[in-house]
Amino acid sequence: MKMNWNELTKGIFKENPVFIIVLGLCPVLGVSTQVSNAIGMSAGVLFVLLFSNLLISALRNFIPDSIHIPAYIVIIASLVTITEMVMHAFVPAVYSALGVYLPLIVVNCIILGRAEAFAARNTVVDSILDAIGMSIGFALGLTLIALIRELFGSGTITLFAIGGFDGVIRIPWFYNNPIRVMSLAPGALLLMGYLKAFFDWKGARKEG
Amino acid sequence: MTKNIRYALILLSICAVSAFLLALTNSITAPVIEEMDHQSRLRALEAVSGGLEIGEQQSVIGVPYIDYMIPLTKDGTVEGWILGLKSAGYGGEMTLVASYARDGAMQFAQLLGHSETPGLGKKAEESWYMEKFKNTGSSKPVPTSKAMLSDSDAQAISGSSVTFNAIAKAIAAGSDWAKREGGVQ
Repeated sequence: MKMNWNELTKGIFKENPVFIIVLGLCPVLGVSTQVSNAIGMSAGVLFVLLFSNLLISALRNFIPDSIHIPAYIVIIASLVTITEMVMHAFVPAVYSALGVYLPLIVVNCIILGRAEAFAARNTVVDSILDAIGMSIGFALGLTLIALIRELFGSGTITLFAIGGFDGVIRIPWFYNNPIRVMSLAPGALLLMGYLKAFFDWKGARKEG
Repeated sequence: MTKNIRYALILLSICAVSAFLLALTNSITAPVIEEMDHQSRLRALEAVSGGLEIGEQQSVIGVPYIDYMIPLTKDGTVEGWILGLKSAGYGGEMTLVASYARDGAMQFAQLLGHSETPGLGKKAEESWYMEKFKNTGSSKPVPTSKAMLSDSDAQAISGSSVTFNAIAKAIAAGSDWAKREGGVQ
């Protein structure tokens, strides 16, 4: 079995879903208020994208073209519902924090986009590598935005509570001087704009 | 015709496998979620009881917004009630528990379940949110509009008026019920 490692790495930087392809921005802007939310959402997207790519690629010769959209939607919606039930039962804090964005993974452009553009045309192994790469790229993009927003907006980095650790790291100077707009929707849009411009500039410099 | 039947069978088989997997996951997660909800309800009742003894739950029929009541007693005397309230928020039904004194004054309240928007109506589950209703319903009316709130409280609920109105109406209905039951009205 030949592994095409380019399928894995392209989603991380070259075709990063958040900064380069600009897919799935709704959850990126909505849940990036805390690092823990970003990690929870990334885990949900990884599970759904991995299994949807795997199943759609495995069934690509079984599902006729004329019914591929309803078939993909049933598969993706089922995987999202499974993720939702598991998170509700076993990580209720993350489930509650993600709120409406968790069921909205069904309509996340990354999932259906990768199913249509990649999994339906490639082998199972390549589709799995694509899903892992894209999920890592999405997780990096989302976590970077969440880290900057939470650091500047609240002066904290929220992870998960373990034992005596409450999960919140308070960063001294930032904690006492928060820039509140970073926690709000305009802050998310501003930051996304600056990061997109930075990645475009980096890409252009590399090409030039 | 044969082609359409084949398509229908393919979709049916995908739906059947999905339904089986969903049922399997539900059978594993449903008891865990149910137990968690039960524990969270017990914690909420304890938090709003104000240290009084929590009695047996009884249904309240035919009173808008009120689902059930639990008497709060001290040395065998009823000092107030916990009411299970329901109201229609922005994202659907909201459930909360609130405790009342015999004169209808709301003591403590906590949101149990809701589907409100994160960052807007979802703020109602934070502890400070219910403070604006504390001790209202007796000599001081329950604030049922933004105009009845202080500037800072009105600012805090900005963008979530539907959620605020839903909670306020349920709390006001609870207060009226407590006053009637307590013989004040």
